[in-house]
Amino acid sequence: MSVVEVIVLGSIVGGIWALVASGFSLVFGVARVLNFAHGTYFALGAYFAFVLYTVLSNVVPSTAALLIASAVACLMVGFVGVAIYTFTVKPVRNYEIMVILVTLAVALLIKEILLSVFSDVSISVPTFVSGFISIAGIPVTYTRILAFVLSISIIAVLDYFVNRTKLGKEIIATSQDCEAAMLVGINVERVFTVTMFLSALLAGIGGILYAQIYAVNPMTALRVLIYAFAIVILGGLGSVRGSIVAAFIVGYMEVAVSTLFASEWAEVVAMLTIIAILIARPRGIMGEG
Amino acid sequence: MKNLTYFGIAIAVFALAPIFMNDAVLYMLGLAFIFTVYCVSWDVIAGYTGQVNLGHTVFIGIGAYTTALLSTSRIPHPEMPVFLTIFIGGIVATFFGLAIGAVCLRLKGYYLALVTAILPLIFIQLTNIYSGIFGGYEGFSIPFSKSLPGGTLGNYYISLVFCFSCLLAMYIFVNTNIGVKLRAVRDDEELAEAVGIDVVKYKLIAFCVSAFFAGLAGALAVHYKLTVGVDFFSIPLMLEIILGVIAGGIGTFYGGAVGGFLIYIAENWIFIQLASYVNTFLPFRVSDEMILYILLIVLIIIFPQGIITKIAEFLSGIDKSEIKIFR
Repeated sequence: MSVVEVIVLGSIVGGIWALVASGFSLVFGVARVLNFAHGTYFALGAYFAFVLYTVLSNVVPSTAALLIASAVACLMVGFVGVAIYTFTVKPVRNYEIMVILVTLAVALLIKEILLSVFSDVSISVPTFVSGFISIAGIPVTYTRILAFVLSISIIAVLDYFVNRTKLGKEIIATSQDCEAAMLVGINVERVFTVTMFLSALLAGIGGILYAQIYAVNPMTALRVLIYAFAIVILGGLGSVRGSIVAAFIVGYMEVAVSTLFASEWAEVVAMLTIIAILIARPRGIMGEG
Repeated sequence: MKNLTYFGIAIAVFALAPIFMNDAVLYMLGLAFIFTVYCVSWDVIAGYTGQVNLGHTVFIGIGAYTTALLSTSRIPHPEMPVFLTIFIGGIVATFFGLAIGAVCLRLKGYYLALVTAILPLIFIQLTNIYSGIFGGYEGFSIPFSKSLPGGTLGNYYISLVFCFSCLLAMYIFVNTNIGVKLRAVRDDEELAEAVGIDVVKYKLIAFCVSAFFAGLAGALAVHYKLTVGVDFFSIPLMLEIILGVIAGGIGTFYGGAVGGFLIYIAENWIFIQLASYVNTFLPFRVSDEMILYILLIVLIIIFPQGIITKIAEFLSGIDKSEIKIFR
């Protein structure tokens, strides 16, 4: 195993994890909601794109079908996120443990439904581009490069949106002090809904990109959730920039451990590292608590 | 005293139950007793001490795998009687409780929930990685010679006695001086510390007690079912435990006991019947887990404080809403 391999492949995985974790972190930061159904958005993104593509590819050319399917799937995941928030999380938002339980129950319910509809087989989404190039002697498919470029650009757009636009500033204001935000006339409920939509959308995009490189099955939702936890704990709960940095650290670690030992060790090592870090620094590397 | 009377009545009813019931129902009731211990032991740490431990199944699984390994020749060990291996299961779980408690002491609220939610998954992965010893995801079975004595009826009475002894022990525990201090820690940690309660010590005690009973119950379940697998660690089991405690009312002791018992029966009897009935006219397959999750979601949305607590409130006219641990 070379260091270059870890850096190249780890960056790609890290980019996808950054999409997933930034949304998770954003929702926690703004609405104080620990969303255990976040991994579900990831899986749903892949499944929606898969189903839409299968349907559309009979009607329109496959490239167009793929683009439309991906875009519509992302939006659908966004709306599913809003629906889950409105119907299950909102009524119990003041009971923190209940939020965890209700979202966990939703995640397991959707997993069961996916199992019932698609059974236990893995699916993949067709790739946008084909072919590969060599980076320092390692063959890297264009799909992976595109995934990396897309995730970085989307995170840049997210950063711009949150820090520069009016709605983004409302989101920051709400995350800093919900009541004060209400006092200055920000519609906090709308901010929560927008945040939920964004977070689900980001996870859905992550899911589609992931399903183009690897494969997704109903169990993926929980696996992704573990990585999302790991990343936000490492980066500090509620710190979006912290989780982006942590996403890449976890991505490199995952690839390094998978190539050094075996892929099933990747999760164990990631989780143990996180616990070790928490003992040393209970609020993550960039968290403010 | 009134509570002890209820205790006595319940024991009497269950002791006479085998006269009226067939073996299949008795087998399920026996498992429901064990499940009740899972629920109440979780309530000790979550409801009474306010530590949102989402990794309670770690203790159950550790107890289960300990006794299972000591009952087979997968690892070298001296020959031991069944009840000793069950007890060792509880002891090993207690050590893990101590270790996990020590790690989690530094964590509060959300971080505690996240880390403890991850813990069972580590163990599930480890059983898969070392599948030579732990039998992978499928687990392994233990020999029939290691089953509990007395057939189905014997198993039933053993788990009945086990359940009520554990409940009594935990009831005494939460009503001693220690239990009062635990509730003080739950209600206001800083205030508890200010009045001279050693918060660290009492949290650790709570973790150990909770882990011990969960480990014992997990170990007993292995000898009851004669098989062990990662489902002892699983997230759905954790969710069922939580559902039982919430349905009954968290931090009320009797709530966890009654709720846990009823939820187990509902899940393993009523939901399975319901699912197979619904499946006769629906185009897609509905599993009993789906019904469980839907019920859980609805229950949480409507009664975040627990149904039995709600009913008790309604009957007595007392507002128990000052129980605000999870707000």
